[in-house]
Amino acid sequence: MPENPTRPATAAYLTARGFCLTSAAWMMMATLVGFIAALELVAPDLTANISWLLFSRLRPIHVNLVLFGFVTPGLLAGAFYFVPRLLRTELYSEKLGIVTVILWNMALVATMVTLAAGLTQGREYAEMIWPIDAGIVTAFCLIFFNFIMTVKHRNEKILYVSVWYALAAVALTTCTYCLGNVVWKPDSGSLTGIPDAILLWFYGHNVFGLLLTPLSAAAAYYIIPQVCRSPLYSHTLSLLGFWSLIVIYTHIGTHHLLQVPVPTWLKVVAIVDSIAMVIPVMAFLINIWYTARGKLGLIHGDIGGKFIFTGTIMYFIVSILGSLMALPDVQRVTHFNHWVVGHAHIGVLGFSGMIALGGLYFIIPRITGKPLFSLFLADLQYWMILIGVSGFAIVLTISGLIQGHAWLNGETVYRVLSEIHIYNIIRAALGLLIFLSAVSGFYNIFRSVFSNPGENP
Amino acid sequence: MKMTPAAVIAGSLLILAAVVMVVIILPYADTSKTIPSDLFRNRTQMEAKGRDLYISNGCVYCHTQSIRAIDWDLGAERIAEAGDYIKDHPILLGSQRTGPDLSQEGGEHPDDWHLAHFINPRSTRPLSIMPPFQFLNRDNISLLTRYVQGLGMKDADRRMERQTLWKQRAVEAYTSGVDQNVEWLHAHVPEGWRNLPTPYPATEAGLARGEKIYQDFCFGCHGPVGDGMGPAQPHIYPPPLNFTILKGRKISGGIIYYQIMNGITGTAMPYFKRELESEKIWDVGNYIAKYFIDQIDANTEPRGIDAAYEP
Repeated sequence: MPENPTRPATAAYLTARGFCLTSAAWMMMATLVGFIAALELVAPDLTANISWLLFSRLRPIHVNLVLFGFVTPGLLAGAFYFVPRLLRTELYSEKLGIVTVILWNMALVATMVTLAAGLTQGREYAEMIWPIDAGIVTAFCLIFFNFIMTVKHRNEKILYVSVWYALAAVALTTCTYCLGNVVWKPDSGSLTGIPDAILLWFYGHNVFGLLLTPLSAAAAYYIIPQVCRSPLYSHTLSLLGFWSLIVIYTHIGTHHLLQVPVPTWLKVVAIVDSIAMVIPVMAFLINIWYTARGKLGLIHGDIGGKFIFTGTIMYFIVSILGSLMALPDVQRVTHFNHWVVGHAHIGVLGFSGMIALGGLYFIIPRITGKPLFSLFLADLQYWMILIGVSGFAIVLTISGLIQGHAWLNGETVYRVLSEIHIYNIIRAALGLLIFLSAVSGFYNIFRSVFSNPGENP
Repeated sequence: MKMTPAAVIAGSLLILAAVVMVVIILPYADTSKTIPSDLFRNRTQMEAKGRDLYISNGCVYCHTQSIRAIDWDLGAERIAEAGDYIKDHPILLGSQRTGPDLSQEGGEHPDDWHLAHFINPRSTRPLSIMPPFQFLNRDNISLLTRYVQGLGMKDADRRMERQTLWKQRAVEAYTSGVDQNVEWLHAHVPEGWRNLPTPYPATEAGLARGEKIYQDFCFGCHGPVGDGMGPAQPHIYPPPLNFTILKGRKISGGIIYYQIMNGITGTAMPYFKRELESEKIWDVGNYIAKYFIDQIDANTEPRGIDAAYEP
């Protein structure tokens, strides 16, 4: 299905452009917040008594802005480009799309302001207060409506795998977002006791499983065959990967609660399915990697393809780690410490973040009809992120192992602080690298979208 | 398989519904039968307000409330049970232990320790990386303290009773004068410890280790020169002990060791037996005795058979 783009229309793909800029701009804010928070782990009095710069308020801002400010809009930008293209039609309504982009940005500003002010529901990944939840759910509904109407008006009978993933991601996330944020209880946004923990981690894990992963897979399925100029390796594997992802990924949230008094049978379900995650992961990866077999030169020559292919390798690493971490014996060491933070950075920055950026760099020349403002800056950003995320993975895994083993050996949390100090310093330095990459990326993307044709060097 | 729009969307939603049935609804039915645990009690109004502050300031991102069978640190005496959480709304298990687990923090320290610690955590814990919470006014800090002192529920209440009882006695002793205070402090060290000199020599290396331990653990209250004028001092009552007054007042290595190991419940002096192994306590005791008290009994009789490493 993927075809070479031919359409240069300047004003086209307004929604995709809007999400491109949203993603690039919020990537700066999200990584700046992460960087400041990392500095505070090294110098805790750095922002003393500035309440809205407390580490503990910055952390949820960082997490939510990365998830919903940088990565999701980046992946949605891609989807708003390739869904109409794959259906050989126009987006049902660019106007509605622009309204969605504006609503999305309003929700992000409100998220940042409320969390900085301490207005939070205190549940990881579901901190936002009810009015913001309502805004985000509305945005997801608008996106779903736009997509499904585009599908309805399509001129291509067959739906390509990227379209399945985009539709399912938006439809399923709308449901799990409402469920996970307990939207029927506007005051607290939570259940009570152990059921709250089970629901929270079901939702928390589905942010990755039903939103970031399917949208990332959609982008990879669309872009890798085009960059490689070859058809997708296997339709059967696409089917297997798609359905098994939805069946298996949704079962595993409780692997966050293996050391908590939740029903044992539920832990067994979570562990078994965490191992079974190998099925959707490898079905997707084999499909993509076999499509790219012998074509690595072409991938290396395309900045979008390069980001995305690297993202698939990160997906392999993060998934294998994830399955291992669900094993109770491994989790005795890795739970509650930096290992998990390292895992999260490989997943969200290395896998879905890399793929979101790859999507942006792939579609921008196609929606503007002219080359990127600077290929060099894009390549620089690629290397900064690759070095940064590999560095995160290394130092956080090391400090996580130090913490985990020391605690198992009877050392207190306080005693271990000085042992991981140096890794916190390296972590902050790498955070600066990622922030600078976001600044350079924003400049590049902004100039690419806004400079007039003919201005390019 | 033909992937029509209906197949994709209806199929995905049906799968999701089935999974929600298995991993949310069934466990909900299962866990909603949970009964209160043996130490459960309802939170007071002030504790509930303190909990709101705990949530809005993001304490949950660094402090878990989830004690596991494999834990050794704070709270490890009581492994978490489902019945501990039945009124937690939302539940605050946490996912990172950047600081210690707080499930059983209630009554570990008296309120004045918490005041000093919230104003600047490094005042009581020099290596802490917790942010300072001075910007919360005193009222809010005391609400937060009420919440933290209630963590552990009935067990916390028992510990708080102990803190209150011994706080009263410690204040009485402190206000009755230096001699009486020191006598009172010594009197609560078991007899055998009181007459025990430090059985190990104060070597150069040992004193250097002692200095390091002192700076990492003791400095915040007792101050850089051991006069009890550390940064936490203005908030703590009875104030941190001025070591220099101990000279000539029947101090011994055994007393210093015992007080560091066991702490002085009721005062801000915590126990360190969880954090410092035997050698570290003897070393820091020698450091205090030599440099601050200026009266050291290291390696005097009775000292038993000399340990193999001794020079």
